[in-house]
Amino acid sequence: MCHESEPGATRSIAKWAACALFLLQAGVASAQATPSAVTPPVVVRHVDPIYPANELASSKHGDVNVLMTIDTEGHVSSAEVAASTDPDLDASALEAARQWQFTPAMRDGVAIPSRIRVPFHFAPPAPDPVVEPAASDLAVAGNTAHEPPRDPEEVHEALHETKASEPLGPEEVLVRGRRAPVSRGASDFDIRVGQLAIIPKANASDFLKLAPGIMLSNEGGEGHAEQVFLRGFDAREGQDIEFSVGGVPINESGNLHGNGYADTHFIIPELVESLRVVEGPFDPRQGNYAVAGSANYELGLDKRGLTAKGTYGSWGTKRLVLTWGPEETTRHTFAGVEAFETDGFGRNRDATRASAMAQYEGKLGGAGSYRILATAYAAQYHSAGVIRADDYKNGRIGFYDSYAQPAFTNEKIAGGGNSSRFSLSWDMDAKYGAVPLTNQIYLIKRGLRSLENFTGFLEDTQDPLQSIHAQRGDMSDLSVDEWTIGSRGSSRFEATVFTQKQTLEFGYFARLDLVKASQQRLQASDGVPYKTEADLDSTLTDIGLYADANIQFQPWLHLRGGPRIDVFSFDINNKCAAKYKGEHLNPNNLPIDASCLTQQDQGRPREANQRLTTSSVALMPRASLIVGPFANVTFSASYGQGVRSLDPIAITQDIKTPFARIHAYEGGASYAHDIRDVSIVARTVAFQTYVDRDIMFDEKQGRNVVGVGTTRTGWLGSIRAIGSFFDESINLTFVRSTYNDSNLLVAYVPDVVLRSDTAFFKELPWSVAGRRPRVALGTGITYVGPRALPLGQRSQNIVTVDAQTTLTWWHYEIGLTATNIFNRQYRLGEYNFASDFHSQPQPTLVPERHFTAGAPRGIFATLAINLGGS
Amino acid sequence: MRAVAVACALMALSCGSTGGDTIDFPLAAAGPADAVAGRPLEFSNDKGWHVVLSKATLHIGGVYLNESRPISGGQALECFLEGTYVAQQTSALTVDLLTPALQRFPALMHGTTTPAQVGQVWLTGARIDDTKDRTRILVIEGVADRAGVSKKFLGALRMGANQQLKKGDLPGAFPPCKDRIVAPVDAEITVRPVGGLVLRIDPRKFFGGVDFGALPNGTFSDGSKNTQDTLLSTNLHAAQKGGPYVFEWADDL
Repeated sequence: MCHESEPGATRSIAKWAACALFLLQAGVASAQATPSAVTPPVVVRHVDPIYPANELASSKHGDVNVLMTIDTEGHVSSAEVAASTDPDLDASALEAARQWQFTPAMRDGVAIPSRIRVPFHFAPPAPDPVVEPAASDLAVAGNTAHEPPRDPEEVHEALHETKASEPLGPEEVLVRGRRAPVSRGASDFDIRVGQLAIIPKANASDFLKLAPGIMLSNEGGEGHAEQVFLRGFDAREGQDIEFSVGGVPINESGNLHGNGYADTHFIIPELVESLRVVEGPFDPRQGNYAVAGSANYELGLDKRGLTAKGTYGSWGTKRLVLTWGPEETTRHTFAGVEAFETDGFGRNRDATRASAMAQYEGKLGGAGSYRILATAYAAQYHSAGVIRADDYKNGRIGFYDSYAQPAFTNEKIAGGGNSSRFSLSWDMDAKYGAVPLTNQIYLIKRGLRSLENFTGFLEDTQDPLQSIHAQRGDMSDLSVDEWTIGSRGSSRFEATVFTQKQTLEFGYFARLDLVKASQQRLQASDGVPYKTEADLDSTLTDIGLYADANIQFQPWLHLRGGPRIDVFSFDINNKCAAKYKGEHLNPNNLPIDASCLTQQDQGRPREANQRLTTSSVALMPRASLIVGPFANVTFSASYGQGVRSLDPIAITQDIKTPFARIHAYEGGASYAHDIRDVSIVARTVAFQTYVDRDIMFDEKQGRNVVGVGTTRTGWLGSIRAIGSFFDESINLTFVRSTYNDSNLLVAYVPDVVLRSDTAFFKELPWSVAGRRPRVALGTGITYVGPRALPLGQRSQNIVTVDAQTTLTWWHYEIGLTATNIFNRQYRLGEYNFASDFHSQPQPTLVPERHFTAGAPRGIFATLAINLGGS
Repeated sequence: MRAVAVACALMALSCGSTGGDTIDFPLAAAGPADAVAGRPLEFSNDKGWHVVLSKATLHIGGVYLNESRPISGGQALECFLEGTYVAQQTSALTVDLLTPALQRFPALMHGTTTPAQVGQVWLTGARIDDTKDRTRILVIEGVADRAGVSKKFLGALRMGANQQLKKGDLPGAFPPCKDRIVAPVDAEITVRPVGGLVLRIDPRKFFGGVDFGALPNGTFSDGSKNTQDTLLSTNLHAAQKGGPYVFEWADDL
């Protein structure tokens, strides 16, 4: 990382692409290797080139590629220009380059000479204020979680490769780059996992906690999507957050559980390299479901070679992960398999899952690349469901227990379900002529069966057209079978206007979903379905176009954004369209006990199905003003609109689908600087969002329903500090969420969320068999304040502390993990609604507090062996 | 000082409420206020019978309050009301109807501060849809006199299998719960922090229209086997204003 910057160069306006690339490279240096186990050099001191005074009048921009040869001491033994546009710029670049210092490249632990290519970009200086070198900015780009606003010219994702060389000759390190999206302000978090990977994570969703204001809950079990709360939004299982992995959408359009349901369990945490979270709809690339924001996982594997990692611990939990990263390839080429099994920490909490992910990254043209990603995932799980607080208080049921047992409901089928996901995608990032192009196509097959019973025996009331029955139970059996095919792409045009470089990007998004979804109710006694509530075949399309401009008025003043337009079309075959009781049916042919009727009034025949089609257009302007940096502080102000398309079950023929539309406003500042060898990034953001039609979970229906408008106002702050032996990320969010019509609080969303992730890592001062062991300790602390509940109630707060320690020596690593280390009994989710689980002599019909139990303390031991890696 | 101000502002963000509240309060049942404890209840019915009721107990399996009054005949026929239930008593009590003393249910009633409109009195000894319930719901005993004719009577009514289903009815028109739930009883009640809910039951109104002279063997029986049985059963289920059941709030409970 860029530990040190030459003070005398502070007036230099040279850009920092070189440093960024080195930093990115440094982030992987420890794990990447050439075929002969070469570790690339790492920058420890850089000096900024000075913009030549004789070029000031012309204010020209220019690029210089410098080839540096680094000796075994880490000094630059020679520097030469590989590509140039101007002799004066060449001279300045070479002068600076010769002063850089590195940790030398290593082969099998021995320092060797190496050669590396560094591009410098020159831009004229801003007259006032002085733009100070933003070494720390770049440091965070490469290594930290909270990246400050990025300049498109500065930050690339590095694709590092080495070329074969003579045994003692210099190694040449070439750097290919993929352009990272430009920052949209202080709420745009480019989270590099880095050393924080040691923090215990149950699954890939836990990475979200590195972004401020996020709380995760799960009432549905290990294979059920996490419920995500973000900045005052109850985004349910992802319906208000646009999720993607490597650009491939995760949200499921047409999922009857909730339109936009997003299950990230298929992502193997060891393969997550970074996560971009945009809290708000401020980037024109954000599409459907980006109401509260978006989260895109980028995959990569630092640890090359074959790594086998086994975990065994509490509740019979067993986990095996195999990862493989061929050494001659980049970290974006990998394969990984995960197998997981647990009995769970209480009744009906067992789960089994397996996941496989493989990606290949290849070169495309002179500087481009392509990636092929394949994923496969299958899971079966059970869910304990909710517990009534009054039953727990009166000793009728245990904290970690479940109602699905003979003492209560005599359920023959417990909650839970099955989940599967298979996907294949191909994407490319290349430059054709002067125009950078990206494109991606993907195919996804998704299956879900979800069994949930929130209300026990409450909803199966006697209908006159039904045979006499007692309450048969409210277990809902929801199934989704979905195919998704889609593509996205962009091209960007650049021009210099008024001495400033301007860019304009055009992009598209196209997606087709073919969905079969149904929901039935099952008899508790034998699991036989007794009622069909919904049965839909849906064909859903979403075609979006956007324009994204990056207008640079001055080097310190950018206006970024543009409009996005999405056209949604719905073609629904409702196969259970007639469900009314129909008092005027044919008395000689009564459809006794039928869920989906084939009669209408007066007994006239009809088919059970009905086709519904409609479409609608959403126009969403988005803009961010980026000002700075001034004294390492960058200010931003953003506005954006986002939409969430309507559930297919709510579609009406030819009625324009009423989107849930959000208007989001925010202002913030980010600070990025190196203090000695500690890189610090801090942010503060004030925000307000307005949603005209929010969603709420209806426990009676077992799915989400559309509600009234809501407003959220809040503040968040975050700090990430990275030193030579530690990595700390802490964030705090306050938010007030209210209904627009009554000004009452929105239930269930947390208004205070605090999260701290800390990692310490150090090589021990002594060696074993010539190799130094490395120890690491990571802790994750979560505090969620009391959440507002219906009927003026407040939930209990949540405080959890997780920790993990590892000892690494040579190819081996042992680890010990403790989750909920203080064994605090806490309620992960709390709800107020009516239910009847036969726990009292007569039905309980009044809303009562329910909760889902958080896990007690768990202890897990891990052993990992790496073969073939460096 | 500035930090304190910022902290206060931030704390203010986390204030507020979703509206409403939950509350637990006592529920008691009693006979008519003009009854005298330990003495039979004497009255005359509209058939001219002078009745001396020496025993009258009613087993109540549960009591519920709902925020919505049924708006149609269809809704009124449902066992479970469409609106949100705002209070419930799920424990049972056998009430002596010959005393005005308040007899508390063994558990507190649980509810919300949402105003109620109607109530339900569940006359059951088991789960509401249990067809094998043999609990004696109403037990009565007394003497009726008219024009020099004296008739002893007694009865022990159970609420077992569906008693109302008739030929031609839709199969689910009269589930067992229909026989066991008295609803909708007028109950415009707003729960307050002080006091409790009182359900007064006047057994005199069970005998409206009953002709004791036509009662076979002086015994009321289950299953509406004759007109007098049906009259008693109908009166027992009379939920309308002026019927046997009255909800009221008592601050001194």
